[in-house]
Amino acid sequence: MVILYMIFVVLGVAIFAFVFVSTRRGRAEGGQGAPVEKLERFEPIWGLFVVLLLGVLLAFTIWRAPWFQDQDGDQQVSIEGIQFGFLVQPTSVTTGTPVTFTVRSRDVNHSVGLYDPDEKLILNIEALPGNFQKRTYTFTKPGTYAIRCLEFCGYQHHKMVYPTFQVTES
Amino acid sequence: MTTAVPPYEGALPYDGSPLAPALVAARTKSLVLRFIWTSTAFLAIAGTLGLILRLNQGNVIAIDDNLWYAMMTAHGLGAFVAWAGFFLMGISFWVLLKCGFPLRTFVFAEATFWTMVIGTLGIVVTTLLAGFGGSWVFLYPIAFNSAGQWGDATTGVFSASVLFAGLSILAYCVAVLHTVISPAQQAEKDTFGQRLGLAFGFGFLSPSRFRTRRGKTPYPVLPLSVNALDMFLATLPFALLLVFQIIQSIDNDFSIDDVVAGNLLWAFGHPVVYLLLFPAAATYYYLIPRYAKRELVAGRAVAVAWLIALFMNVLVWAHHLYLQYPQDSTAQQTLNTIMQPTTYALVLPSALSLFSIAATIYRSDFEWNVASKFLVVGILSWLVAGLQGIVNATAYWQETIHNTMWIAGHLHNMAFLNMGMLIFGAMYAFLPELTGRRMYSERLGNIHLWGTVIGGYGWVTFQMIQGLMGAPRRWANWDLLDDSLITLTHVTLGFLVILVLAQLVFAYNLYKTLRSSPFEQAREVPAS
Repeated sequence: MVILYMIFVVLGVAIFAFVFVSTRRGRAEGGQGAPVEKLERFEPIWGLFVVLLLGVLLAFTIWRAPWFQDQDGDQQVSIEGIQFGFLVQPTSVTTGTPVTFTVRSRDVNHSVGLYDPDEKLILNIEALPGNFQKRTYTFTKPGTYAIRCLEFCGYQHHKMVYPTFQVTES
Repeated sequence: MTTAVPPYEGALPYDGSPLAPALVAARTKSLVLRFIWTSTAFLAIAGTLGLILRLNQGNVIAIDDNLWYAMMTAHGLGAFVAWAGFFLMGISFWVLLKCGFPLRTFVFAEATFWTMVIGTLGIVVTTLLAGFGGSWVFLYPIAFNSAGQWGDATTGVFSASVLFAGLSILAYCVAVLHTVISPAQQAEKDTFGQRLGLAFGFGFLSPSRFRTRRGKTPYPVLPLSVNALDMFLATLPFALLLVFQIIQSIDNDFSIDDVVAGNLLWAFGHPVVYLLLFPAAATYYYLIPRYAKRELVAGRAVAVAWLIALFMNVLVWAHHLYLQYPQDSTAQQTLNTIMQPTTYALVLPSALSLFSIAATIYRSDFEWNVASKFLVVGILSWLVAGLQGIVNATAYWQETIHNTMWIAGHLHNMAFLNMGMLIFGAMYAFLPELTGRRMYSERLGNIHLWGTVIGGYGWVTFQMIQGLMGAPRRWANWDLLDDSLITLTHVTLGFLVILVLAQLVFAYNLYKTLRSSPFEQAREVPAS
């Protein structure tokens, strides 16, 4: 994601830099040298090119949206958010077998941000009052994971952390 | 080619255009200046709050947790709506006048101003004094679950204050629509339908059916018309949510479904971005051709793009709910699926606008001054932050960035370094003709520019890096997290110091400008 984003940023900024530098030549030409009609004709082509690029991105990503993922793992974990803590049951799972998290909230919106032992955010599941969500994940890395609330839930939001969710080798 | 000579002192280059009635121009000037000064004062407050928030996250100062969240709420609403939104609403009245669309009545514009001022003052009181800290999106039902930090009465007054800001937006939309759907369109068949069609760009798509004696509708009118109609529609569901909250603050037995509330919120919460971006686009469309000394290079495609925006803008709200897919709600999951392509569709107006602007500048005799340089940085930020927007619009990527500092960085990149730079550029461009005074110092203007670019981009880039490291957004402090996040916050504080100093230079430049003697102005103000 980041690499793709950076490529387009660099490309876009380079094109604009070229455009800005071209104004030196434009000054020498009294602003009369630009192929304005050609540029106008290119406008719809540019629009179609953008549509095509976005279509490709859509095709590659939409089926990977979280709600399309399989929600039935062999291991089950229930997480309930309450201002300002998590009730987690059970508190440990094993690697290699899909784990289904069932997430709910007892009061306001919370979110289960699951961080791996290297502090990388790997899952982000909203906890909704009066409803529940499921998300399945297969752990490959054993260790101590942390659960942090990522949806603002009140004045102790930054203390809503469950620091010791264990993943053991199967 | 002969370079057009500005027709009066203080005019922009290439500004040879017909004249608007002097009385209307003078009154619009005074109104727009009021918007400019008031919104700039709100920037000073919101910016100071932002700095305090960051100082606390960096453990440089320690403030009460709820006060931090209350400040966060005030900062979000203040910077986004009361500064950038308010400024751009005001300046678009001036852009319309300059395009030959003077306000037909000042009633709605005045209502826009006063309801926003009342709403903002209410927000300041309920957050900073009464402790409402539900964040600027106040996800239902948090306003009624404060864990003892504020009461329902505070929620009621806060909701009413935000409702006033909403009324301001509604009044603004009416003011713009009333102005653009007017005889000023100079439709050959002067009917309501013809004026409406011309305002929304049908003159470009079907020139034989929508004829105007103007030749063609000025491009800045398109985004302003689209924005006005869309924001009118998008503000209504949000107003309903606020009314529900006011009722619940009085009658505790009343409540609404939180998924419905989320949809009502985001029906407004996303389009409100365009309350800033579309008037900004209109201002770019107006100013860039003047510095390039040629007309905007654009054709039919840009008109098609704005028509797409007209429909899609009010249909993309649920991408903010990508991570809400309740197990018993296939409707929400279907809605989320539809949201990705509809959100992508909104890339088109930006992509085509950036193309038009680049094509207009390409090999032109471009005038490089402080104003145009601010605009150019704003355009680059539009590109950079727009690409971030595509990342955010992709549901698959949301799981690792949603509610992290990446989103905070993106928001500041778009709102401050695109719309904000446009705002500064517009001030340097328009203030001479609005105040009748030349800017005191071009050199100080350049210091302001580079200080804002270096400080702004340093700050935003490190925010985004923190986000990619998983740093949660809307956390008063990161004491429980990795120390490297605090270290990076200290780095951003260095950049913020540069940013603040640059704004102080700007304030001094403005002060000296306003103290200087006015130059002789034309008796009437041109409108192109």
